Amino acid sequence: MQNILFLEHMIPLLQHMLVFLGLAYLFTKTPVFTALVNNSLSLPDKAIIYLVFSGFCILGTSFSEPSIQTDDAIANTRAIGAVLGGLLGGPVVGFLVGITGGIHRVFSMSSISDPINYIDIACAAATTFEGLFAGCVHYYLSRKGKIKSLFSPRLVWLVAFIVGLGHVVIILLFGIYTGNGVEAWNLEKEIAVPMLIANSVGAALIMYMIREQKRACDELSSSTAAWRIADKTASIIYGQFNQESSRKIAKIIQHETRVGAVAITDKNRLLAFAGLGEDHHLPGSPISSTDTLKVIRENKVLFADGISKTYQCRLKKSCELGSALIIPLRDDANNEVVGTIKLYEPKNKLFRNINRKLGENLAHLLSGRILAGHYELQRELRIQDQYKILMAQINPHFLYNALTTIGHITGKQPDRARNLLHYLSDYFRKNLTISNDTVTLGYELEHVESYLEIEKARFEDRLHVQIDIPEHLLTQIVPVFTLQPIVENSIKHGTSELLGTGIINITCIEHNDSFTLTVEDNAGLYKNSNTSGIGLKIDERIKMRYGNNYGINIRCEPEQWTKVNIHLPKNKEQA
Amino acid sequence: MIRTIIVDDEPNAREDLEKKIKADPEFDVIGTSANAFEAIKDINNKHPDVVFLDIQMPRISGVEMLSMLDKDNMPRIVFVTAHGEYAIEAFKKNAIDFLLKPVKDDRLHITLARLKENHQPQPVVTEALSTELTFVPCYQGSRDYLINVKEIIHAYSNPMTGVHLVTGDSDQEFQTNLPLKVFDDNSQLKRCHRQHMINPDYIKFIEKLENGLGQISTYGNHTIPVSRNFMDNFPSIT
Repeated sequence: MQNILFLEHMIPLLQHMLVFLGLAYLFTKTPVFTALVNNSLSLPDKAIIYLVFSGFCILGTSFSEPSIQTDDAIANTRAIGAVLGGLLGGPVVGFLVGITGGIHRVFSMSSISDPINYIDIACAAATTFEGLFAGCVHYYLSRKGKIKSLFSPRLVWLVAFIVGLGHVVIILLFGIYTGNGVEAWNLEKEIAVPMLIANSVGAALIMYMIREQKRACDELSSSTAAWRIADKTASIIYGQFNQESSRKIAKIIQHETRVGAVAITDKNRLLAFAGLGEDHHLPGSPISSTDTLKVIRENKVLFADGISKTYQCRLKKSCELGSALIIPLRDDANNEVVGTIKLYEPKNKLFRNINRKLGENLAHLLSGRILAGHYELQRELRIQDQYKILMAQINPHFLYNALTTIGHITGKQPDRARNLLHYLSDYFRKNLTISNDTVTLGYELEHVESYLEIEKARFEDRLHVQIDIPEHLLTQIVPVFTLQPIVENSIKHGTSELLGTGIINITCIEHNDSFTLTVEDNAGLYKNSNTSGIGLKIDERIKMRYGNNYGINIRCEPEQWTKVNIHLPKNKEQA
Repeated sequence: MIRTIIVDDEPNAREDLEKKIKADPEFDVIGTSANAFEAIKDINNKHPDVVFLDIQMPRISGVEMLSMLDKDNMPRIVFVTAHGEYAIEAFKKNAIDFLLKPVKDDRLHITLARLKENHQPQPVVTEALSTELTFVPCYQGSRDYLINVKEIIHAYSNPMTGVHLVTGDSDQEFQTNLPLKVFDDNSQLKRCHRQHMINPDYIKFIEKLENGLGQISTYGNHTIPVSRNFMDNFPSIT
């Protein structure tokens, strides 16, 4: 008889439990889920937890069918909602879930024909107790810094079992107090064991599922966030590990991770700070945190979780930040610490595990970036060097020829000499004002024209130059000193070696997304060995900047012509 | 009057120097040339006393040009240069005349004064500077060419038309302003006749004819006379 009664109560309870599991699973697939598990104590999250688990309580009561109604009491799974609500939301939420479930219990089971009796009140009180007790467990564990163990199914089972026992005790006490002790005992004798089993196992199972879902979700979002950050920071010019690039990176990380604040330091100074406390964490100031200095010194990750080890800002007592993850940035090449990246959370927020993982991934990412930055910087320097070499090669020769030529004609044609001096100063003014290493094609052409005016005066009718470049291409961007040295070479190694008239044609052919500048002379004296390096250097410079699809090729029909083709991409960057 | 030729490929430089030299009444500028091709012709025709010679010129430099001039009719050379060529600087300032571009008036006056004292050729200097010919300036119709000496099979002079060069390259014939004497001194060509020279690399065989004369057959199937006086240059036939 006892066995049959037991099963009679047990089976429907198991059914409820399965329905809860199903519902909880559905919740894990909605945005509400993050609110359930991110340990955040913010009000909206608490409200969501309250609503979800109050709903569970109400369902737990409503599912109960008359068949398992024993006198007025019902074997039910209300406790699952109360326990989980308390554990996830803390004492206040637990209490509220419990009392909501309780009040619902009171009114759903009573009617005019069946007024509120002691058992209704007892059940309501017991449910409230369940929620409050679980909430206290949450409070206790979070104070202890063991918030993660909240997700342990064993703990949940234990809590649910204890509150289940408490439930029984409360009902019995109420029964005795109201003089219905025997009735209460008979009731509990029947439903206590199935309820204890169903509620504790059910709560544990649901929590187990939540934990697994959370883990999967954490990993996924940690890697997607890392990817998003990698993607966004990729476009930041990582020439240098400096304040400018750090500021952008810190901003992106803060925005993507939604942590309280993000800081990037080098070994001595704060490079960038984004988020809470921006007002007193000023980029450029020396590192104030001893924790950070320790990380730099020991090359180890440091985590001040805000509970067992608190983070206190040294700059301002009232700083909101209360926990910090400090990760060294290493130059992988020599495993040397070059700085740190720090993620902060404010005092009223717990450090999410996902962000801890993410932070470490980010440090890897940035470390790689720094290495790439070094390489990039060196490349940039090499380009700059070559540019300087080119400049140095061009100027003295040209200046010498120009001045000598002008000297020769001052007596004969003073006006022309004055004009040439203007061209010359124009040429050098342009050299002076070139700050970028790219200019518009039009600018480069003007430069070439100034140069040619002088050369034409030098060679007079031995040199004819024709420039035919479509107007609309003049806004295209070219590396500075791309055309001028080639034209100079065509004269120096080409037409100037001609006995007759030298002719130079400068033309441009447009393709879909590129264009080809051609400098052709009628000397045809190009010899492979006699590149004089400049053509090669320009080719190298173009390839470095735009890739191997672009650059210079030279063709020559001996004694007839030499054609230098300069292949460049159309505008992608601005000068 | 000191008869002077100016050789420079830059017109304004040429004119400027011409004007400055002309300012000295003792100098007569009898010609100007823009390159070595013109200059050789000019010098051979006009036999100047002094040549102001630019070193940096198209195709044939001033120094190279020295080896294309007849040593027996060498004018006095004043080098004009933009860069302090080491070949020139190797000589002490007094051993050779040279002016740096741009030519400064006072420096030019010193040179002109020295030339007025003595404008005899300086064979030591020019010989030291002249080297084996590698390329020979020549022309075909109105077009100028530079021919590698190694390609020349046969050179001959015609009293009416001057010196002709026959090359192995498709049997072409060019004319040059260089006298045969220059090839004697500065090339591998061998004199076989007062009017003929042969490149030994192209000799197929040599026949002995009557009267002590000979005849060279080349790989290009040309026949070239060998005169009695030059038979000694070809010991294989004797």
